[in-house]
Amino acid sequence: MRLSMKRKHIITLLILGIIAIIGAFAPQTTAAAKEKTYTFGTDVTYAPFEFANKKNVYVGIDIDLMRAIAKEEGFKVNLKQLGFNSAVQALEAKQIDGVIAGMTITPERQQKFDMSDPYYPTGPVAAAEKGSKVKSLKDLRGKRVAIKTGTAAADYANSIKKKYGFTTVTFDDSDNMYQDVASGNSAACFDDQPVLQYAIATGVKLHLISKPSTMKYYGIAVNKGRNDGLMKKINAGIKKVKADGTYDKIVAKYLGNGTVKAQQKKNAKTQETNRSFVGLLKSNWGTLMGGLGETIELTVVGIICATIIGVLIGLLGVMPNKFAQGVATTFIYIFRGLPLMVLALFIYTGIPSLTGSKIPAFIAGIITLTLNEGAYTAAFVKGGIEAVDDGQMEAARSLGLPWGKSMRRVILPQGLRIMVPSFINQLIITLKDTSILSIIGLLELTQTGKIIIARNMEGFKIWTMVALIYLIIITVLTWLSNWVQKHMQA
Amino acid sequence: MTTRVEMKDVHKRYGSNDVIKGVDLQVEDNEVVVMIGPSGAGKSTVLRMINGLETTTSGEILIDGEDIAHPGVNIDKVREKIGMVFQHFNLFPNMSVLDNVTLAPTELGLQSKADAEKAGRELLESVGLGDKEDAMPASLSGGQKQRVAIARALAMKPDIMLFDEPTSALDPEMVGDVLEVMRKLAKEGMTMVIVTHEMGFAREVADRVVFFGDGKILEQGTPEQIFDHPQHERLQSFLDKVLNV
Repeated sequence: MRLSMKRKHIITLLILGIIAIIGAFAPQTTAAAKEKTYTFGTDVTYAPFEFANKKNVYVGIDIDLMRAIAKEEGFKVNLKQLGFNSAVQALEAKQIDGVIAGMTITPERQQKFDMSDPYYPTGPVAAAEKGSKVKSLKDLRGKRVAIKTGTAAADYANSIKKKYGFTTVTFDDSDNMYQDVASGNSAACFDDQPVLQYAIATGVKLHLISKPSTMKYYGIAVNKGRNDGLMKKINAGIKKVKADGTYDKIVAKYLGNGTVKAQQKKNAKTQETNRSFVGLLKSNWGTLMGGLGETIELTVVGIICATIIGVLIGLLGVMPNKFAQGVATTFIYIFRGLPLMVLALFIYTGIPSLTGSKIPAFIAGIITLTLNEGAYTAAFVKGGIEAVDDGQMEAARSLGLPWGKSMRRVILPQGLRIMVPSFINQLIITLKDTSILSIIGLLELTQTGKIIIARNMEGFKIWTMVALIYLIIITVLTWLSNWVQKHMQA
Repeated sequence: MTTRVEMKDVHKRYGSNDVIKGVDLQVEDNEVVVMIGPSGAGKSTVLRMINGLETTTSGEILIDGEDIAHPGVNIDKVREKIGMVFQHFNLFPNMSVLDNVTLAPTELGLQSKADAEKAGRELLESVGLGDKEDAMPASLSGGQKQRVAIARALAMKPDIMLFDEPTSALDPEMVGDVLEVMRKLAKEGMTMVIVTHEMGFAREVADRVVFFGDGKILEQGTPEQIFDHPQHERLQSFLDKVLNV
């Protein structure tokens, strides 16, 4: 009887935990549209193919082209700015249906994915800081060169780095790579010709130091072995928009007649006119607040789930049962030990590539926070309960109260009081940790900042704004928590 | 006479360390048994075994004839019949004095809230704390706390009361009040097992005194036998030390 009562407690706790996790997964099963919607991943910034305009709406040749193809072929398309490398990984993990991100058609990629017919000519070129002594690839000997993870230009750079004797450093997006060169950290960078050209035309202080070695083409990637004819539709769509002049209109919209002047003129339209701190703040206010909204949503949902899981696991950890304690210790050990970023990537791209079923980024983010913050919460819940004098449990049990009732009426009320500062601390940590979730493409405050900077290159001002917003929110939270603590002690 | 508590050849070992080395003890209904002996002799451990707060390594403990270690026995039900008073009171600091007393009977569904409070007030009255029902434990003196703890244990209407050094943590002037309450209980016929260093009190209330040494019962008998005619050499030297200070 005694044993089975304990077992009942453990089973109840485990079931509650499972329900909480399933609850978090549930929303993904609800979406069922009539017109087929495909999700395509794209880069964060790869102007003129994809970039955010001054209203922070995503525009660019890839974006317009994909929409035009979808319209021709009668499907809906949902574009996600994941960053190039993340988008390719998400495609591998079958989290998304395809990638359109200035993706060069290469034999390796054709082996891995189905690549569409070519839609834009390209080729890898190198660029150095404007006015630097680096005039050609030969000048790169012994120097460091910036490349972008997973790109064809990076492959090209790696293939010639022995010959020209340079080393490489990798970045996740183009603007950070350009900034590294413009600031003199790297001697040069490698990127696709149309993109580098556009960047130079729009004011990035670089100059080209090589010509494309071979001419290649951009294509759209989908997973191999799909039987829904998506690739057929895409190819048919490319053909149609090229034939009826839509394609030319799209390209002209971003590049004008192809001259540098025309590109500058086109680009000016996408940029803010007032570049002062206040001006930038005004023009990006809505976007930053949107990012903050997502950050707060992630924080609130995350901390609620983490608290539920944390309290359950913490309770398992203090149960008078070796198995329950083992479960809790293992949970805390694993999820406190894993870096948040690794956990986020594991859940978002790792698990789906094994199981083949998608996990939406928001859900993946919440699960990540739940497990990581939940492990920290479990640790201090366990500690808080253990900090209550043993005599309290003995006194309650000696009155005939079962373990669960003793815990609920006697131990927890005392333990929670001890835990209040830890809970508040965890809330603040969770708020900050959401910034790491930008890695899986969640448009929270940090990612929003990245995207704005990718467009306007105003790193100092925008990061100052982002930092101030975090500080203001955390200050408010701290005041609030001090108030709560004062009133709890009264 | 019915036997309330029966311990048969009880052992307890922590690792390679034998703490209890074969204890046989019976407590009859209405009997007051006082356990004395030097610190570390195992008195408290044996007392805590009676309501299962300590486990045994071997041997049997029967409460009203029921083996408490048997898998079919609900230890919580056994504990409902056994009140326990601790050296450090262990009142619940997060609730008022009256709530401390009424928690178990109401939480276990034995009494309605109103009945439990009525009974609780009477119990607090009987331990001389009728005016403290709304006080929080932190505002009480040690002696008051211990009397609340006794009232709390009595609220479950136990058949047996265990006292684990109930006056050891008290200032000397508080000891009398607590002993007075215990004396009254003994007179009312409560079955009691008491671990204490109050030798005068032991002599006065005990039906039987049990002397522990080195994890074993070395001698037991009436207070007269134990205090006036100690046989065991260890008991003689123990009494020498505690009585002639």
